[in-house]
Amino acid sequence: MINPDLLALYTTLKMAALTTVILLLIGTPLAWFLAKMQSRFKVLIEAIVALPLVLPPTVLGFYLLIAFSPQYLPGQLWQQATGQQLAFSFAAIVIGSVLYSLPFVVQPLQKAFEQLGEPLLEAGSMLGAGPIDRFFNIVLPMTKASFITAASLGFAHTVGEFGVILMIGGNIPGETRVLSIALFDHVEAFDYAKAHVLAISLLAGSMVLLAAIYLLNMPKTKTEKRLSNES
Amino acid sequence: MNLDLCFELDFGQFNLAIKQSLSLQGITGVFGHSGSGKSSLLRAIAGLEKNLVGEVFLNNTQLTNSKTNTFIKAEHRHIGLVFQEARLFPHLNVLDNLKFAVKRCDQPRLKLNKIIELAELGSLLPKHVDELSGGQKQRVALARAILAEPKLLLLDEPMSALDRQAKASLLKLILKIQSELQLPMLYVSHSLDELQQVCDNLLVLAQGKVIGYGGIHQMIHQLNYSQTNAQEDGFIDQQTSLSLPIKTPNNGHGLAVLSLSALLNVNVNNGEDEEIYLPAFEQHLTQDNKQTLRCFILARDISISLTEPLNSSIVNHLLVNISAINTKGNNVLVTALYGKKGNEQEFFVAISTFSQQKLALNIGLKVYLQFKASAVRTYLY
Repeated sequence: MINPDLLALYTTLKMAALTTVILLLIGTPLAWFLAKMQSRFKVLIEAIVALPLVLPPTVLGFYLLIAFSPQYLPGQLWQQATGQQLAFSFAAIVIGSVLYSLPFVVQPLQKAFEQLGEPLLEAGSMLGAGPIDRFFNIVLPMTKASFITAASLGFAHTVGEFGVILMIGGNIPGETRVLSIALFDHVEAFDYAKAHVLAISLLAGSMVLLAAIYLLNMPKTKTEKRLSNES
Repeated sequence: MNLDLCFELDFGQFNLAIKQSLSLQGITGVFGHSGSGKSSLLRAIAGLEKNLVGEVFLNNTQLTNSKTNTFIKAEHRHIGLVFQEARLFPHLNVLDNLKFAVKRCDQPRLKLNKIIELAELGSLLPKHVDELSGGQKQRVALARAILAEPKLLLLDEPMSALDRQAKASLLKLILKIQSELQLPMLYVSHSLDELQQVCDNLLVLAQGKVIGYGGIHQMIHQLNYSQTNAQEDGFIDQQTSLSLPIKTPNNGHGLAVLSLSALLNVNVNNGEDEEIYLPAFEQHLTQDNKQTLRCFILARDISISLTEPLNSSIVNHLLVNISAINTKGNNVLVTALYGKKGNEQEFFVAISTFSQQKLALNIGLKVYLQFKASAVRTYLY
């Protein structure tokens, strides 16, 4: 039988990876839209996106739990579409994670898009590049570092999530039991040795991930420094 | 190629209202001071300003028509634009910046290598754009714009950040490209010196409106009067603008010689060829010897003498007929004509009312103009 902690690790990585992919797919156009938006409603949308930064996770989790229950529309629609209950499922913790980690992806991307501005995109269109062409051949390479940062922060934040998952996912092994929940379980059971293993693993993993982000962004800076020195 | 403009662009505090048809042959200059709407005009033609009300037609193709909600996107207009700042892609090296344009060209006819050679970019190709000087960046930007093979090339003050030497080199490149590719260009600048050197026609803007359009020399001469007739103080340096055939770039005494008679196709001074001297320059003349030099003489650099100044170190003197005298305060702008009736060249002289009264200058009076060789200025050499 598989080690429950390893199973929790697998569930965690699967949830974080899927969440990151969804976050990049949703967060990129949302960040682009916010970077280009000039309406006063921009502040409102920015506040909604940033809400998970200040809101207690349990508050978000509580409302999601209600929304995901079969008595309410989102939960009903999900049940009709899949035949399964949404609350306390893997899908629920992924949706919860997407909402919870949204600002960690949207904010760095929005800042990068704002800093990039219009000049290079205008230059691109004057050379015959359409919007998609400009995105993949100018925007993406120019904001690569921000995409790496956004993806890493989104991933790391999802791995470290606890409150929301506990509220909407519960503690179902192989489905919703992630590392942070497993750690909580061990502490509740006074199994500090196992808790230590998980805590140190999460700590080391987070450190390695953050170091990797800085490492990935570093060579470019070095090259730029070298180039500016040479010229 | 015709460009028909009839539109308004409202920026709140500033309104650009253009109604003008331009015949785009060679290089057409767009002159005006900061805030006159020059760059906005180019952006409207390029398709980078979406909120304009009115129409833009290029060769009878509708680019914008606010009535029918027609708006051809910038990337589909086949119009090139070289910006004030080069706007090279910093994530690509020089060669890849050039290839960016080639890859997006529908039917490439120009050879990449030919343009690289023309713009003298061979040694820069592997370089990162951050390694380039301002002049080199603009050369790459110009080459990149040409490689997209536009029908019309717009140049938005491409030289404002360059030193004089880099400007001269880029101006020569623009002229070379124009003559080799026959690409119509619209060149925006607030420097009349630059425009005088390269443009065939000039469009003048002030406060968002067209105040003049015509041949380059004719327009510059018209602008001379704006200073005395209107409130436009210091609009331009009053000057005589000329294109003169080069007789020799160096006469062995450090002077270049231009032929004024050849320009007018007349011998005015008792059958002798009337020459204009200026500091010698390096120029390889072609066999047919028909090369001309664009030059200008500031009105304040010319003086008037009632008798022929034979005993003077000043090398240029011309017998002219005063055709107009415009006075504003203590400043007088004298317009004098050189040549025979119907085949004349205008010269402009700025003097004080004190000198005008002392010499009793009047319309119709024959006088001598004199100016030093160094007063004949040219930008390219």
